[in-house]
Amino acid sequence: MMEEEKGAEEQQRFSYQQRLKAAVHYTVGHLCEEVASDKEMQFSKQTIAAISEVTFQQCENFARDLEMFARHAKRSTINTEDVKLLARRSNSLLKYITEKNEDIAKFNLERKAKKKKKLEDENKNSVEPAEAGVVESEN
Amino acid sequence: MADSYSRDSEPTTRTLLRRVLDTADPRTPRRPRSARTDVQRALLQTPSSRRLRSQTKMTARRCSHRARSIDRLTHVQASGHLEEQTPRTLLKNILLTEPHGNADASSLTSSLNLTFATPLQPQSVKRPGLARRPPTRRAVDVGTFLQDLRDTSLALAPPDTVLEDTQPFSQPLVGRSPSVHHSLPCPSHSGAKDVERAASRRTWSSGLGLQNNGAGKPAQLLAGKVEEVGALAMGFPNISSNISGKDGIEPLQNGVGEEAEERMEESLREVEKAAEAQGSARAEEPEGHIEVTEAEGSWGAVEAKEPEGSSGDEDTSGRTASPELASSTPEFLRARRLQFLETAPPPSTAVLPSEPPEPLSARLPPKPRIPGSRPRQDPYKTGLNHYAKLFSFYAKMPMEKKAVEMVEKCLDKYFQHLCDDLEVFAAHAGRKTVRPEDLELLMRRQGLVTDQVSLHVLVERHLPLEYRQQLIPCAFSGNTVFPAQ
Repeated sequence: MMEEEKGAEEQQRFSYQQRLKAAVHYTVGHLCEEVASDKEMQFSKQTIAAISEVTFQQCENFARDLEMFARHAKRSTINTEDVKLLARRSNSLLKYITEKNEDIAKFNLERKAKKKKKLEDENKNSVEPAEAGVVESEN
Repeated sequence: MADSYSRDSEPTTRTLLRRVLDTADPRTPRRPRSARTDVQRALLQTPSSRRLRSQTKMTARRCSHRARSIDRLTHVQASGHLEEQTPRTLLKNILLTEPHGNADASSLTSSLNLTFATPLQPQSVKRPGLARRPPTRRAVDVGTFLQDLRDTSLALAPPDTVLEDTQPFSQPLVGRSPSVHHSLPCPSHSGAKDVERAASRRTWSSGLGLQNNGAGKPAQLLAGKVEEVGALAMGFPNISSNISGKDGIEPLQNGVGEEAEERMEESLREVEKAAEAQGSARAEEPEGHIEVTEAEGSWGAVEAKEPEGSSGDEDTSGRTASPELASSTPEFLRARRLQFLETAPPPSTAVLPSEPPEPLSARLPPKPRIPGSRPRQDPYKTGLNHYAKLFSFYAKMPMEKKAVEMVEKCLDKYFQHLCDDLEVFAAHAGRKTVRPEDLELLMRRQGLVTDQVSLHVLVERHLPLEYRQQLIPCAFSGNTVFPAQ
């Protein structure tokens, strides 16, 4: 019974994996089409299959590494720091990720600042319209 | 007078020496002090039946301490004559400290015994485990020794020898760095240079240099020693006139006394220490010589063989360079260990069994010639060279020089990458020190450590027992775990 369950579970995982692989393959195909039209070169099917296979494997590796890094830093959540550590090998990628990270951080800060500012403004105004305004803005 | 010599039936070294003493023509310039000599002799004779090697020196030093108080009087009185009958007193000490079998267990001796019960531990156990070898002992060649004594007495007579009694003083340095093995003890040809204090340092260094050159013939060594003793004698008037305090005298005495005894023992390391003591003492730096010897000690701990030139420079640059080396040591050791463990699977299985026998007994590269400059290149390159040679060995076929260079380059990049990763991992965990956890992470990424194979398994497989003991926590008696977690 246990074995059956395990077998079923494995099959489920396997089919899930296959679906994921298929999704990756599809996306890789699209990207290759774009590049092909851009560079005016053709991609063979085997190439696309190979690329998608490699991508999938790398994703698995990344996931494992990220988990290891998070555990190494004695955390249970994967952080942007872990991602940056992962990408440190290729400089351009690292730079890109760092920039994105900064943008997001800035965006969050701005949002927080906006929210605070709005709250202050509403407090200055009369109570009723302010409440309505706050309710509206929050919604 | 304590002239109670007991002749053994069989001619032991002791009896031979005694005979020499009795029959030898006492041709020392300071003969008139017979009374003081006797007193001194009596004092020296009290400690007896002691272990010859490690404790000889300490006891001798103690004797010399007591004797020195008398000597100082003589020194003050006699203009420049510090000690009489140098070889005689040396012999005396040797005879006294040699394990004779008759236990003159006076309270003094027993107390001294207790004091020196602990053999001088090699202070620089910087290389644990395999590198900690017991000091090798060599037999005493009595014939050459006696010959040398005669030569010494002859040599000493002419110059106005202020030569300290060659009482075997033992410095704490004596026990240091027992792991240093040199082919030739003591500076053999440095006699001429020794006269000047300024040259004393270089003497020591060149002497050390000669260590690796020479064939290790005791006769040669002894002859050299004779010269050096003579030179020392000449050097002494300069020094003794300048040094008024006892501190100045002591290191000098130590140096000479030690050196003379070394001859007898033909123990390489100790001779080296004597040379050090001499060189540095002659430079009027009692603390300086400790420093230098410390540097030397750390050196001895760090490397097995040392090119002579570098040791020469080390004398002057010892202090500045030794911290440098010390810092490069752990880094390099770490790199070695990593490479050791990591390259195990990648290259080939053939490498696997062979790399483990290459222990981390760090045969570190020679010291950089110029202190402070190029701290990175020299040890780095030499280490890479070492690994490249290993590589060419395991290739089992001749390799072109260019190929070897390529291998070196690759190794260089590899190690740099490795250490960068380690650094990043340590920083990632918010630490500044690289710890085994970082290493484990690295190896996991490399695929060496998996869910099936843990780091401990690899350590067991590839590292020698001593390192394994230090790495893998094990429970010991008394409910302790070592290493502590």
